[in-house]
Amino acid sequence: MVLRFTRTAMIGLLSVLGSTALPSVAQQPAAGTKVEQITGLVGVKAKAKGSLTLENGNLQFTSSKAKANVPIDSIEDVVTGDDSQRVFRGTVGTLTMFAPYGSGRFLSLFRLKLDTLTIRYRDADRGLHGAIFTMPVGKADPLKKALLSQGAHTSIPMLNSPGSSEAKPDAVKEKKP
Amino acid sequence: MKRILYVTAVSFLLLGAHFKLTELRAQVAPPRATKASAIQVLMIQSDDIKLPAEFQISLYENLIHQLEKQGGFQHVYRDGDHNATAVPDLVVLHSTVRGFRKGSEMARQVTTVAGKTSVDVHCQFTDKDGKNVLERELNGKVMFFGGNLRATLDFAKKAAKLAHDNFAVNSGS
Repeated sequence: MVLRFTRTAMIGLLSVLGSTALPSVAQQPAAGTKVEQITGLVGVKAKAKGSLTLENGNLQFTSSKAKANVPIDSIEDVVTGDDSQRVFRGTVGTLTMFAPYGSGRFLSLFRLKLDTLTIRYRDADRGLHGAIFTMPVGKADPLKKALLSQGAHTSIPMLNSPGSSEAKPDAVKEKKP
Repeated sequence: MKRILYVTAVSFLLLGAHFKLTELRAQVAPPRATKASAIQVLMIQSDDIKLPAEFQISLYENLIHQLEKQGGFQHVYRDGDHNATAVPDLVVLHSTVRGFRKGSEMARQVTTVAGKTSVDVHCQFTDKDGKNVLERELNGKVMFFGGNLRATLDFAKKAAKLAHDNFAVNSGS
């Protein structure tokens, strides 16, 4: 009797939990890659922060204020690189330059490494566009790989050697200063 | 009689010199710039100089953005845009990178005097048939504030001003 009650209770509990849990999984948006769009996307301000996702054959940039889609098959070139930026940027960064005893210069030494992703694509009128994104280190190569697997083109192909997905031939190695 | 011959010879010499000077002036002076209702910007070329992709794209995008911002043209067409072929008085801007030096933002901010980023670009404006209309060497640089890509904005502002002053319908010249 007790066993039967426990079983019924468990089934009831699971069904309640399942009905609440399943929709939350289904509605969870694709995480995307946190990026900063430096320039190039139509309708998006320069230096806009947002996320890049690959959805329905589009490279989608979503920020709090704007959304832009680039059809992946219109991408003619994808190139990755790296860069760095100050930890203290913007207005605060500028103000630190006037800090006393050269402390602003000292703060300039603190820098954050970044990956860059540069794409070239054509619009409906065949007009050439370019867009530059910066993102945390290690995010650009997987994104490039995903873009290439979905039909984007590149002038610098990636070499898929076992053990190192990011290895590239020396002759065409992308810029890593 | 001698005097007549002397005067005639001198006259011929002066006339010849005048024609030669006119011819030389025509060769040296660039063809007169004409007004255009639209401009097409071709992708920045850098065959001889190794230019990072982000600099190439940044030069191109900033150039288009600055030309649109300056105004004076009804349309600013991108490389490959097939709508540009229908414009009769189109001016085409060809840009070739002739020099590039990637500096360091950190060096600029720490030392003030080092770390300059600069890019030298040869700008050639042609008409629709490819005839040269104007040629200039321009450069973009960032000396102190801003990242390395800011040099491309500096170049774009200069190139847009050059295009506006020489070809825009509402320019003063």
